[in-house]
Amino acid sequence: MISANAGLTGSYDYGEVARSVVIAAAASYAALDLAGRVTAARGRVRAAWLTGGAIAMGIGIWAMHFKGMLAFRLPVSIEYQWPTVLASLSVAILSSAVALYSTSRQRMGLVDALTGSLVMGGGIAGMHYVGMAAMRLPAIIRFSPLLVTASILLAILFSLVALLMAFDLRGETRWTAWRRLGSAAVMGVAISAMHYTGMAAATFVSSAVSPDLSHAVSISPLGNNGIGIVTFLVLGAAILTSSMDRQVEAEVRQLNQGLEHQVAERTTQLEATNENLRKEIAERERADEALRKSDDRLRLVIDTIPVLVWSKLPDGSADFLNQRFREYTGLFIEEGLGEGWLEAIHPEDPASSIDVWRAAFVAGRPFEFEARLRRADGEYRWFLFRGEPLRDEVGKIVKWYGTTTDIEDRKQAEWSLQEAQEGLAHVTRLTTMGELVGAIAHEVNQPITAIVTNANFCLRQLASAAPNPDKLREAISEIVNDGTRASAVISRIRALLQKGTPNRVVVDINQMIQEVSILLRNELARNRVSLSTDLASDPPRVSGDHVLLQQVLINVIINAIEAMRAIKRGPRELLIKSAGDDHEVSIQVKDSGTGFDPLQAQRIFEPFFSTKSEGIGMGLSISRSIVESHGGRLWAESGPTGALFQFTLPAHGGGVS
Amino acid sequence: MNELTPVVFVVDDDPSVGRAIKRLVESVGLEVAHFGSAQEFMRSQRPDAPSCLVLDVRLPGISGLDFQHELAVTNTQIPIIFVTAHGDIQMTVRAMKAGAIEFLTKPFRDQDLLDAVQIALERDRARRQKEAGIAALRDRYESLSSREREVVAMVVSGFLNKQIAAEIGTTENTVKAHRSRAMEKMHADSLADLVKMIERLHALHEKAS
Repeated sequence: MISANAGLTGSYDYGEVARSVVIAAAASYAALDLAGRVTAARGRVRAAWLTGGAIAMGIGIWAMHFKGMLAFRLPVSIEYQWPTVLASLSVAILSSAVALYSTSRQRMGLVDALTGSLVMGGGIAGMHYVGMAAMRLPAIIRFSPLLVTASILLAILFSLVALLMAFDLRGETRWTAWRRLGSAAVMGVAISAMHYTGMAAATFVSSAVSPDLSHAVSISPLGNNGIGIVTFLVLGAAILTSSMDRQVEAEVRQLNQGLEHQVAERTTQLEATNENLRKEIAERERADEALRKSDDRLRLVIDTIPVLVWSKLPDGSADFLNQRFREYTGLFIEEGLGEGWLEAIHPEDPASSIDVWRAAFVAGRPFEFEARLRRADGEYRWFLFRGEPLRDEVGKIVKWYGTTTDIEDRKQAEWSLQEAQEGLAHVTRLTTMGELVGAIAHEVNQPITAIVTNANFCLRQLASAAPNPDKLREAISEIVNDGTRASAVISRIRALLQKGTPNRVVVDINQMIQEVSILLRNELARNRVSLSTDLASDPPRVSGDHVLLQQVLINVIINAIEAMRAIKRGPRELLIKSAGDDHEVSIQVKDSGTGFDPLQAQRIFEPFFSTKSEGIGMGLSISRSIVESHGGRLWAESGPTGALFQFTLPAHGGGVS
Repeated sequence: MNELTPVVFVVDDDPSVGRAIKRLVESVGLEVAHFGSAQEFMRSQRPDAPSCLVLDVRLPGISGLDFQHELAVTNTQIPIIFVTAHGDIQMTVRAMKAGAIEFLTKPFRDQDLLDAVQIALERDRARRQKEAGIAALRDRYESLSSREREVVAMVVSGFLNKQIAAEIGTTENTVKAHRSRAMEKMHADSLADLVKMIERLHALHEKAS
């Protein structure tokens, strides 16, 4: 479009025009490409991309414009004032910066787009007309207002289209490059159209006034080409950098994606593991809960069963006492543990000594003890202690488990039964004794009756007028016979006790005392009599009937127990003492009873003498007979603190009479 | 009434004692029979004479006390004197309640035994006489005719001869004849005697029924 109204007719170098259009397309492509980069980047990198991009794009746009200017040939020489050229370049770069900034934002509303296109379009138009203002030629430039306006509107319109396209194409997809190329071509053409519309608006009128050529330079073809080449280099570098950056970014993204994938995978694995762990923990908790419940149940059973339960360490110290144990004894757990529980056992019972327990523990066999255990209120009841060892794999005892059962009622029942049996035995003994006495009386009485009767007959005969000597002789000889017979009966009874004991053996008195103590243990316990012994070490043996001598000792002890029954308060103590020298052995039985009247000391050994309501008085008499038949003596003394019965027996080999 | 010689039975398992008692009792003119056990005594033929039993409590087999009970059950009436080597109060009470004459403890005083024997024999004699008298009375009563018994019954009830005659439909003289014959048969010396005899018979009859 050439206005050659007043003389100067311009022409275009179409090669330059084509080059300018290519530059416009290249700059457009770079802009689109850089918009993507700026969008992808953040912070300082984004600022750098924005700056670099704006410069590259600005140079591109400007170069196209300048090329377009250079393509316009006038018949006059044209020079360019270079500060103005630099100003137009600056405008191009600034408006490019605005455009890039606009398109790289997250969102672009209509107002943003319009504002962006106004600024950008204004900028490009500004750049164009500032660039034209740099021309120094001997002509006056007139501008057609209509075409100027059209060129500005075109610039704004194309800017709007470019912004929308750039915004649309800033994402990176497979076909983006081709679409950008297409868009760049369209935009290149559009920019060029605007430029050449602007050029068309100008009419060059030649004038004689020579232009102000200060700061003006002439653009040689070499310079012209240099601008083109530099522009391409800048744009190429921008595009290449952008492309490399995109590739790096893509690689980084790929790497990131790989990493993310790996992380996701690992996370999934970790989550799976976590889930398993959580399940395991839940399972464990459930198991723990079940165990706790089972423990609670077991504890409840142990605390509830009507038995005292304990466990002890191998040294006999308790490490567990169940609730019933603690409740019964009234001991707190810390009081009862260790050896504290021993305190609740009756001090007279052997089981009150830890040594007895230790001995049982050392023996290592299940054991049973009977002992009295003090209740919280102070009353003692009989209990059965049973223990059972727990051994480890090498057979070493690691613990003792045991129960302690209340046997008081059973014990009482046993005693009642025993008492009943003893009562029966006593009755039987009495009956037997009565029969024995009756037999003795009868045996001796018969001949005596005959003697007395015969003697009376004799007296009657002698008193009569005519005594019959034959009858007298007969009666008297019967008297003699019966007298002899009575004596024989007595001898026979003595013999029963004396020579009628063929079981003479060597007797250990201490051993006998122990045997009798065991025999009478229940009797002693039932009567609450505590027995103590003071035995001579190794007393001489005696010769005698073991059973009969035992009988004597039992008789004496029973006698003492019965004597102490009257004691309601105060101790019931029985002491059995043995002593001996070369000649004889003595056994003393001392009670803490009421004693007896000293005047009766001799009489108590007489047959049928008894201080007891139920006694028939044969026990001590027979005992004395037995002792005397062994060549010993039995006597009694009464002191202020009870009676002392003692008997002696000659030492074996020491002259038995 | 012919008086038989009384017999004293001695039951004691000791022959020596038995012989001594026999000798003593014989010395006062009594007849004595000695047995070693209760069974031996029961098997023996005993004369029908006044008698008594000297019994030892302690005997082989059945005891003296049990034997006493057995005799009572079988209505064998014989006075018993117990002798024992050892008697207690309970035993004595039991024996005496059951009708024993005496309970002597061996050795006993000779006079105590002889006194007891005398008492026992006297009692037995009385019993025998009483039993014999009743038997005779019954025999005499049995010898009465039915008309005589009728008359006697009304006489002892206090009726006059005239009333009796009117009652049985006969004459007063006939009643008198029956009455005197019955008195003769009954060995009754007086009316009071007869009344006593009939009362005794009634008493026995009532006792028996």
